[in-house]
Amino acid sequence: MKKAGLLILSLILCLGPFSIAMAQKSPTICAVHPFTGRFAFAGIEGSAAMQDVVDMANEAGGINGKKIQYYWADGEYKDDVGIAAFKRLQAQYNPQIMFGQSTGMTKALGPEIKDRYKVLYSAYTMTSEAANPKENPYLFIAAPTYAEQFGVLLKYIVKEKPGANIAFFYSDTEFGREPIAAGREMCKKMGLNLVAEEIAPVGGVDITTQVLDMKAKKVDYCIFQGYVSNPIVAVIKQSKDYGLNAKFMGTFWSTELQLLRELGPLADEYIGVSAYSFYYQEDLPMIKKIREWTKKKYPKVEYRSQSYMENYLTTILFVECFKRADKMSGGITGDNLVKALQSIKNFDLGGLMPPVTIKDNSIPVGRVYRGNSKTVRFDPISDWIRME
Amino acid sequence: MRCGDYKENYIKDEEIFQSRFVKFWLALFFIFLIVFPFIANAYMLYIANMIGFAVIGAIGLNLLTGFTGQISLGHAAFIGVGAYTSAILITKYGVSFWLSIPLAGLVSALAGLVIGIPSLRVKGLYLCIATLAAQFIFGFVFVHWESMTKGITGIHIPPPVIGSFQFVTEKDFYWITLFFAVLGVGYARNLVRSRMGRAFVAIRDRDLAAEIMGIDLFRYKLTAFAISSFYAGVSGALWVSFLKVVIPEHFNFMLCIQYLAMIIVGGLGSVIGSIFGAIFMTLVPEILNVLSDVVKSYTPGMGKLIIPFKQVVFGFLIVSFLIFEPRGLAEIWNRIKKFFTLWPFSY
Repeated sequence: MKKAGLLILSLILCLGPFSIAMAQKSPTICAVHPFTGRFAFAGIEGSAAMQDVVDMANEAGGINGKKIQYYWADGEYKDDVGIAAFKRLQAQYNPQIMFGQSTGMTKALGPEIKDRYKVLYSAYTMTSEAANPKENPYLFIAAPTYAEQFGVLLKYIVKEKPGANIAFFYSDTEFGREPIAAGREMCKKMGLNLVAEEIAPVGGVDITTQVLDMKAKKVDYCIFQGYVSNPIVAVIKQSKDYGLNAKFMGTFWSTELQLLRELGPLADEYIGVSAYSFYYQEDLPMIKKIREWTKKKYPKVEYRSQSYMENYLTTILFVECFKRADKMSGGITGDNLVKALQSIKNFDLGGLMPPVTIKDNSIPVGRVYRGNSKTVRFDPISDWIRME
Repeated sequence: MRCGDYKENYIKDEEIFQSRFVKFWLALFFIFLIVFPFIANAYMLYIANMIGFAVIGAIGLNLLTGFTGQISLGHAAFIGVGAYTSAILITKYGVSFWLSIPLAGLVSALAGLVIGIPSLRVKGLYLCIATLAAQFIFGFVFVHWESMTKGITGIHIPPPVIGSFQFVTEKDFYWITLFFAVLGVGYARNLVRSRMGRAFVAIRDRDLAAEIMGIDLFRYKLTAFAISSFYAGVSGALWVSFLKVVIPEHFNFMLCIQYLAMIIVGGLGSVIGSIFGAIFMTLVPEILNVLSDVVKSYTPGMGKLIIPFKQVVFGFLIVSFLIFEPRGLAEIWNRIKKFFTLWPFSY
């Protein structure tokens, strides 16, 4: 009896540290990127950004000596494929942090992340639903929501022309409609006249009716949502033909150099909002760091897009959350990662963004940029604008 | 040793289980289906559930297009009608999940009846366009009838319950999917060998001749639409209860094409073809995903080239099947079966 007791005790003593070591698994990030499909332009850049930040962090010693593991899969920008990839990565690697590819995927997985998986989660989305800590405590976005981006643009308009006539021009999709209701409310509060709401399909070029309607309603500012390229280009080009003297604005996904290239000499007519600095703003310390890394690792790459910047920032926050959660009792768990995220205040990002404070699981700050047809770049025309 | 396939009457010829071997293999397959959730991980069970929903939806479309010859491009809309009906009944009116499934099927069937009316006057490509209207009409309704569908925000659906047990995980839901898939396959297999099934085939082969023989085209064409939509509705209701959310973007035009591809690749006018097509269209892309992940991990930095290549392979596989066996996977299966039925004395 005594021998058996000793045997059990020695087994516990031998296996105890082993089981603790097993429980303290490596910090792991898994991501589902839209590497193919119509959002591949963001997925390819985004996956590179995540890999770069993880490599940088591991080169700098990881999380208290533990290397960060990073695995990803292609979600093709289809919800069912993305969810399958999420489940596959979960089953294979059991990560503490996940990154998703779309609004649809985020909405579908939201309840399960809260009740079952309990992982810190972000995605290629700026939907308000991912920035609602009461409903979805594990979800966050490292950017302003679409509604907050509308707020930044409307604040800029109020300053430039109080009481201006506004038009919302959006696609009849989830992406297009997301901030519209909030935009209507903000217009009322800010004393702006929302005189028109135009709808056109993504990629549509037959938009004469909408342009003439905006002209009849004397629109001063037209804000696009739900597009990356056309019909934005078509509207701006046709507005010249039909004598519509409005200023054209767009949110994050349409504030990219490709749009300026398509606009050509009309690039000066376009104003966009973004939460991040651009790759060519090389005087900023963080941009300098990204440029040096890119030059060293990918000598052929000449430009990094805003999608890269978004994922770069998100992954920096992931790494910071790992560092903070690792010091908490219980170590790196989903709940500790959420606490770590919400403890981030005035976190310096070397100019990639102003110092970050997480508020309601988003970062409600943006800057207004104007297109420049000569340099084919966006030039900042406002300071960082915060939404309360 | 068997050297021929001899039957004495039509009843024997129409039997579902034609021999003891069929019964044996089917029993073995059922044992596998029952054991599967105990050996599979959450990912594999997720895929199994998705295959189950696809099987139900594909059988519905095959009854309409493969058996009755009525081409429909509105299948995704009917799946959507079922999905939204179930979601609204559960969340807004407190109806139990179990009751919401048949009700979702019935509402979809009603929608199918209405959309099927043009089939009495037009056929072929014209009917295609008429059913395509359903896709746009219902797509618009899902987005804009916000008081019921909650528009683009969508509806979050609680998991199904029996007593205090909640069907939360993929493993729990697998049993529900399996139950409805077996029920759906069983009903369809029996339907196609009934008077109604034969009427469907007669309409497909030559509707005028069928009418002269006394088949009521009005009744049978609309019945085919209703049954097909019922299956679609049940599939949609199960799908969104599994996902726990329904949003309009789930039911886009590509979903119609995907279902048509399932029944064409699987085999038009064949229940087992619908099953093969559903498995092929769901499983093969996943296998290619897993393979491309493996290749990617062994060739760092080559992801940009390898990952898009999987879609080329998938397209190539579909085209190859259609070139080498235009009658689909079901025909390949039949050939294999025939070979082994009389093996080693087949001639």
